[in-house]
Amino acid sequence: MSGTRPINCIIPPYILDKLLDSENSEVRQAALDTMLLTARLRGERAIRSSFTGAAAPGDGRRTVFDCEQEEFLRNAVLARPEDGPESTDPAVNRAFDALGLTRDFYKEVFQRNSVDGQGMRLDGYVHFGFKVNNAFWDGRQMLFGDGDGQEFSNLTGSLEVISHELTHGVTDHTSGFVYHNQSGALNESMSDVFGSLVKQWSLKQRAEEADWLIGADVWTPGIGGDALRSMKDPGRAYNNPQFGKDPQPDRMSRFIHLPDTKRGDFGGVHFNSGIPNKAFYLTAVRIGGFAWEAAGTIWYEALKASSAEDQFQDFATTTFQKAGELFGAGGPEQAAVLSAWQEVEVPIRGVPTGVARIRSFAANGSGGAGREDGLAALARQIGTLNDKVTQLAKDVAELKGTR
Amino acid sequence: MKVALESYGGLAAAAGLRRPPKVLDTTALPAAAAAELARLLAAAAATPPEEPDGRARDAMSYTVTAQDGDRVTVLEQSDAAMTPAFADLLTWLRKHHAQQ
Repeated sequence: MSGTRPINCIIPPYILDKLLDSENSEVRQAALDTMLLTARLRGERAIRSSFTGAAAPGDGRRTVFDCEQEEFLRNAVLARPEDGPESTDPAVNRAFDALGLTRDFYKEVFQRNSVDGQGMRLDGYVHFGFKVNNAFWDGRQMLFGDGDGQEFSNLTGSLEVISHELTHGVTDHTSGFVYHNQSGALNESMSDVFGSLVKQWSLKQRAEEADWLIGADVWTPGIGGDALRSMKDPGRAYNNPQFGKDPQPDRMSRFIHLPDTKRGDFGGVHFNSGIPNKAFYLTAVRIGGFAWEAAGTIWYEALKASSAEDQFQDFATTTFQKAGELFGAGGPEQAAVLSAWQEVEVPIRGVPTGVARIRSFAANGSGGAGREDGLAALARQIGTLNDKVTQLAKDVAELKGTR
Repeated sequence: MKVALESYGGLAAAAGLRRPPKVLDTTALPAAAAAELARLLAAAAATPPEEPDGRARDAMSYTVTAQDGDRVTVLEQSDAAMTPAFADLLTWLRKHHAQQ
């Protein structure tokens, strides 16, 4: 295999080049048409890129390419464009549909136009490499391996995995969470959160109905009932002889310290994402209803307001602030956010632990949250304040009387 | 010569820490296959690795370690920045191990 591959067509490229210089306009046009067709069929990105300046952003137009089990995108074959017919390859259609669902989710729920907010084209590459056990975002597009059938099945088989990868692009274009240590774990968590929300939104599931699993449809196809990660129960997604027990922590006291290297997963970004994942899950179920509405909006606005180097406590504080701005300070949504971070042992900056504990109790009560609990807590606070004001007024009156 | 392939990182990085390296011994290979592997290794070692731009997320990395007596060759590349020569070597190794 080499880095470049000859273009396979009946007329050699150098003759087409010559024909482009022909004095006959029909010959020139025919040569140009042939070159463009060849480029399109082979997915020749080098040629396509020369037209990008003239192309409209595209409102997230989808294009799926087939890598034919090679690693080189320039050799990939066009498999399904936005306006093209359905493919005979299920992996192509799954990728195409999942890209569309993710794009529509961001558009309808958050009024976000594609990954960059400006209609960025969505390119997906299926059958990447030989039985590759991975899917990833390369900074510009998504690539999906076929899996080896033991660790993973075809990676296009999971909607939340595809949404997870696409959300890496959203994060890059918003907070830009640096992919190391805690900010890297936040980056990973954003992808799990919005990946799961895309799935819940597509199924119209309420928070309490969702499975909160990542990759259940593709991870270890020979083992039923497990998943790559569990947002509800980090650390309990899988337990098998080949991979052992899911090592994700669900709270800060179980934070895993790994070296900031490739082998150390850049400081454990895929490990410690379990902590903010659990915080989101708790927030969503305590607010109740559709998780993409209140909880999702709080997280999305916090993502946009965050900075690249933010740590867990920074992000927790931002979600608390956003909950107050969006739904009212002291309301049940903000109380749910507070109690969730409290439970995973991430303190909110500016909220003393004692206060957090009292408000958390109001939010989760006997394990569940509700608007009534939140309102009741608020009413109690107002009642206490009233009592104090009344007492103060009495004291002032008494003081006046003694003069 | 012993050739070990390690895969780490990627979407399943947390599980991957337990992924053991896949090792083969060329003395157990047919002569033609051993020669092909030696050729692929030499080609991959002779090609400078591409520099990743740091924008990839969930990309998997690979280390190929070839030990021939006292001589050890270590090659490391990732999904997001891979030379054609390394990709050829990786595909050969994957296909070999898939048949085992």
